[in-house]
Parts: sequence; C-alpha cells; structure tokens
Amino acid sequence: MNFDLPPDDDPRRLEVRAWFAAHPKPKYRQMTEAGYVVPHWPRPWGLGADAELQLIIDEEIKRAKVLAPNLVNPVAINNCAQSLLTHGTAAQRGRFLVPALAAEEIWCMLFSEPSGGSDLGALRTIARREGDHYVVRGHKIWTSLAHKSKIGVLVARTDTHVPKHAGLSQFLIDMDSPGITVRPIIDMSGEENEYNEVFLDDVIVPADRLLGKEGDGWALSMSQLQTERVALSKPGAIWGAGPSARELVQGLIAKGAIKDTLLRDEAAKLYIEGELLRLLAYRSFSDRMNAKHAGPESAARKMIAAPHGQRVVDLAKRWQGMAGLVKGAETLPEPNGGRGTYDDWDYAFWFNPAVTLGVGTQEILKNVIAERVLGLPREKDPTAKTPWSELQKPQLRAAS
Amino acid sequence: MDFALSDDHEFLRRSAHDFLEKEIDLAPLLRPHATVEAADYNETWRKLVALGWPGLIVPEVYGGSGMSCLDLTMIVSEMGRTLAPAPLFGTLAGTWAVLRGGSDMQKQAILSRVASEGFKLALAVSDGDGQSDGSKSDAVAVPADAGFLIEGSKSFVVDAAAADLLVVAAQHEDKRGLFLVDPKQAEVTIELLPWRDTTRQVCGIRFARAKAELLTADDAQAWLWIRDRLLLLLSAESAAGLQTVIATTTDYAKERVAFGKPIGAYQSIKHQLAEMFSAGECANVAVLHAAWALSEDSPLASKSVAMAKSYACDAYVAATHQSIQIFGAIGFTWEMKNHLFFKRARANAEMLGAPPVHRSRVIAMLEREAA
Repeated sequence: MNFDLPPDDDPRRLEVRAWFAAHPKPKYRQMTEAGYVVPHWPRPWGLGADAELQLIIDEEIKRAKVLAPNLVNPVAINNCAQSLLTHGTAAQRGRFLVPALAAEEIWCMLFSEPSGGSDLGALRTIARREGDHYVVRGHKIWTSLAHKSKIGVLVARTDTHVPKHAGLSQFLIDMDSPGITVRPIIDMSGEENEYNEVFLDDVIVPADRLLGKEGDGWALSMSQLQTERVALSKPGAIWGAGPSARELVQGLIAKGAIKDTLLRDEAAKLYIEGELLRLLAYRSFSDRMNAKHAGPESAARKMIAAPHGQRVVDLAKRWQGMAGLVKGAETLPEPNGGRGTYDDWDYAFWFNPAVTLGVGTQEILKNVIAERVLGLPREKDPTAKTPWSELQKPQLRAAS
Repeated sequence: MDFALSDDHEFLRRSAHDFLEKEIDLAPLLRPHATVEAADYNETWRKLVALGWPGLIVPEVYGGSGMSCLDLTMIVSEMGRTLAPAPLFGTLAGTWAVLRGGSDMQKQAILSRVASEGFKLALAVSDGDGQSDGSKSDAVAVPADAGFLIEGSKSFVVDAAAADLLVVAAQHEDKRGLFLVDPKQAEVTIELLPWRDTTRQVCGIRFARAKAELLTADDAQAWLWIRDRLLLLLSAESAAGLQTVIATTTDYAKERVAFGKPIGAYQSIKHQLAEMFSAGECANVAVLHAAWALSEDSPLASKSVAMAKSYACDAYVAATHQSIQIFGAIGFTWEMKNHLFFKRARANAEMLGAPPVHRSRVIAMLEREAA
C-alpha cells in the first residue's frame, strides 16, 4: 500500500508542464492533438495513459489555469464520445470525435423525459425507420447544454413490440435539424442556462447516425452514465465541481469564523468527510491503475458525495446569516483556479437541491448499493418483461 | 500510488481472521453479569502468546516481530471485528509507552519478556475526569531512595487487573512522567469497574506510596507519539467492528420476514443499510490512511489519525444503534450480540478523547497550516 501521489518532479509531470509552458493559452484543438483531452483513450485521440498520468495531466491543466475541456463539453468528453470507440463506425469516429474533444461541437444528452427520469427505460420518444432515415417524435427534458449543442445523443424507442429496455437505440443527431425546438427551463436558482426541454417533432435522422445496432440503446446509455471521468483532486460540492470542504474550512479560518464551537465542529465533520471522499476517489483510481477490480465504493462515494456537497454549501450559506439572502452579498472567498459554472458559493447553494436529483437520485443510488452490493432483494419492476406496446394499452383506453 | 493492500497484508489479515473466527466465542457474555474471564480472556491470551502476538510491535532486537502500524492494523482490526476478549490492548499500549519512553535497558528488560513469554502490560493514563492529555494527574510521583513513590489514583485502565506490569502517568514536579509500577505490591489496589463494555476488562487503580521507576527517555513529544498509536488502535477496532455490524444486520434483513417478504426488501431498511455500508467504506479508508501515515512517519499522520478516530467511532456508534433498530425488539435483549457492539462502540468513542475533541484538533492543525 502506498498513498503517495505522483511527486512534483515526476518526469512525466515535467513533460506535461513544459508543454503548457510552450502553449500558454492553448486552443482545445491543440490540446486534443497533444492527447491531453482524453489521455486515457488510445492514440490518436489519447495517450493510452494509465491513471497516474491522467491524474498528472488533470493537475497540470489546473496549474496552467486552463479551463478543463471536459467542463466545456462534458457530455462528449466525460460520457458519450467514448462509445464511438467501441460502437461507432470509422466514418462516425472521423466525423465526430475531434470536433467533440476540441469542444468545437458541444454535445448534449437527450435521455430523460417528462414521464420518467429514474425509470429511463420507460421513455416514450419513438424513432421510426423510413428507408434511409428515421423519423423521431417525442419530448425530452432536463437536457443540459441543449441550447449550445451542435450534437445530441438521443435515446429513442425503435421497437415497441419488445420489453421496454430491449427496444431502445441511440442516435447522434444534429441539434439544428428541422423539427427540434429547445426551450430553456428556469430552475430554482433563477438561471436559465443550465437545463432545457427539447421537443422532437418528426425530426429526420439519417440512418448512418445510429450508434451501434438497433436495441443497443439501453446498454450504451448505462455505460455512458457510468463512465464519468472522475474529477479527481477536487471533491467539489456540485457533482465533484464547485467549492469543496477544504475551501469551506480555509474560508471560515480566513474570515475568523472558525472559533465558534458549533460551527467548528460542523466544519470539521465536513472537512473529514471531504478528505475521506478524496481518498475513496483516489482508491478507485488506484484500483483501475493497478488493473484491480474497482470496488463497490464508487457507488458509495456518489451516495456520500451528494449530500456532503449540500451540507458544505449549506454551512457556507449559514455563515452569511441574513445577508446570505441578498443576491451578490459577500460570500466566503471564491474557490481559486476553477472558473467552472459552480465555482461560486452563492450560486452553488441555490443550485444544490439538484445534486441529489441529477445523475441518479439519492434514492436510486441507495437502492443500487443495497441491491447490487449488499445483495438485498431486488425491487421488482412489474413492467420489465412486458412488450412496451402492451403497457401503453390501458393508458390509451383510459385516455379515450 | 497503490491504495490496495499487498498480498502480505491480505495474508496477515486472513490468518488473524481465521484464527479468531475459530477461537472467539462471545456466547458466555450473553448472560447478565458475565465478565471477560467467562469468555476465555486468559485462555485466549495463552493462544495469542503461542502465535507471538504479544510481540507484534516489539522490535526484532528484543525478540519481537517489529511490525509497522500498517501490519498491526491487519491484526487488531480482526480483534475489533470479533470483539475478542484478551489483554492485547493493554499490552500494546504498554509496549508503545516503553518503546517510546524507556531507556535501552528498560526496553531490553521489559519488551523482551513481552515478546518471549507474553508478559502483560497495561497503560494507566486516564484520570477520574476522563482526561488523559493534561500535565496534571490524579497520581503524583515523589522521589524516594532508589526511585519514586506514587500516591493517588488512575481511572479507566484497560487490562490492568491482568497486567504483570503497569505503565502509569503521574505528575512529577511540574509535568507528567511515565512510570513503571509492579501491580503485585501491597501499595497498589486494582478494582474491576462495572464497565458497560463487557468485552473488555477495565479497572480503577489506587496507589498508596507505591514503588515506581521513571521511564527515562520520556519527553514532551512521547505522549503524543503514544497517543497517535492508541487512537489508531481504537479506530481500527471500530472500523472493523462496524464491518461486523453491517454484515450481521444485512444478513438478518435478508432472513427476517414480515408481511410476506424479507424486511431487507423494504426501502426503509435498504436505505439505512446502504448508508451504513457507505460509512463503513469511509471508515476503512480513514483507518488505512492513518495506519499508512504512521508507518511512514508522514507529517500527515497526526491529522490522519485524528480524522480516523473521529469518523470511525462516530460511524460505529451510529451503526450499532441502527442495527438494534433493524433487528427490532430481539436486538434489545441481552442474549443477542447487538448490545456488545453497541457498548464497545460507545466505549471506544469516549476513550482518549471523544470525536468532537479530535475534530477540534483537526481544525487546530489546519489553523496552524493557514497561519
């Protein structure tokens, strides 16, 4: 066992640092060509990097004060583009990957629908094959970045006569296609730049935009939701981004607030939990690096991290007292170096209820741990085995 | 960077696990008024001596195994997992005190006996108010012909009645020193406390001008060094005991049927167990990091140990209570083991500073870093 992280004079680190010194304000296209956007991918996109080199590159990007490309184009870089390596055609890889990694084409994930979020398999958007294209009709919701996106990763139902999970397929669609309407959702933080509804009104999608085969949609979606490229060195309050418990404690010390006994104990609990989350993140990282089977702690980590982050921003907000209700009031010192959307104590607080909803609700995560890790009886889904079209009938009758 | 345990460590843990699974039976403690003696406290010690466990942390030069804190964690975790009643805690505590505070001669004289014949030690540091860190002490040492005489008392001493030799923190001039005291002399009275955690032997000691020998290499840093190791010991026991509680409670939730299905099929139970599991993962990684940091003499060690003690003890306390709730009324009876873990968790949390004490220390260390 060895908890030492790659040292400051590691030769691989020096090489990366030298590259950033030679490219002080790098274009993401340059970083893509250098393999620094997805170092863990094979060449020519990545460097086939082991986890340690990934960590080094993450740290050096931060050190160079470059906004990490995966913060700009998270859906492509963290989640979906990787599927093209295994399920894409050579033409799809040639067309989509470099613009995605260089953040020249922003991607969004057209997954959740108004009728079901956690029960993704029940989605109702239909893609009907007509000759050399599909016609897509449906309604998506909670789509981050849809208004900025060129490419949408769409999950839609291509076969209604099989059980719900089996009939799904994935497509890479052009977000500027006729028939697509994007409508922003103003969430409770008061901002309208985060989430959208997307209406798909007989959108024509060429058949060569199908990813993998028809019916691969469920497996692709699940793997994309799990292949997050973990934000390692900073267990921030908002899904790993944003302010962390370390910054909370540093801020409270700087403001002289830490002497208050109650606040001190609460802050210490958060600090400790934050450090342990950091260790758990490094541990799954180290397991991958040493080609050991990743333990169940990654599910557990998400489950702890979400409410942990909520308590971090909650304490920062309570430190402000009455003034914290005034937009623009003085906050704890802003987290340094980030420049991501959530690196703002005030915004992170008003956004925080989303953290136990998005990327798997807290309740679903607990079910996953209880059932898949502890082996408790599985929740039965009475709709899992029935052809999807059969399930729609009672509702059709009720509606008529 | 490799956070996984090495094969050697896995082997060490596995062999300790297998041995204790076979040997430890807590059933005698599931009758009211039973003490550790009923649960083979002395017989288990003899078996541990045969395995060489008394000398685990005794340096090889004195005939021990010279284990690091990380090595030791593999073994004491298994003691915590099984709540094994045996005077290992006291002997480890005394060994660290002698190792850090003793002269070469004292180390040679005492530690070689610990390693070779299972000579039992106990460390008496706590006072009646539960404090163990101050310069004041309920026991006072005054110089006498060839050494010192100790007058006063010590409280909450683990394994004292079983010990062949006591290490006692007593006030000496304006500071506190560590002294060796033979418990067999008439001037020492050891009384078993009706300690709620019946898996341990815990005692009060009175000294009436008892003869004592000063540990001569003791200095201002010694107690901090010893305490870090004791905190690791308590953390490792707690994190491992927590694993037992998670496993037994999960098993029970799979077996116990209510309203036609196992209670573990209900989300109210599932979600509690998922939370216990997650806390268990955090406690484990906290303990391993602390053990590693101490083994490496890392500058992070004291903070890491304080974090582990605070987190693991709190998580253990919470889970042992939840476990009783999930078992239902049967979990509240003396005939079930739930209360043994509940009480061990409470006791470990209080020993050598409750979790808030260590959290405040963590913040104090961060304040110093920021200054």
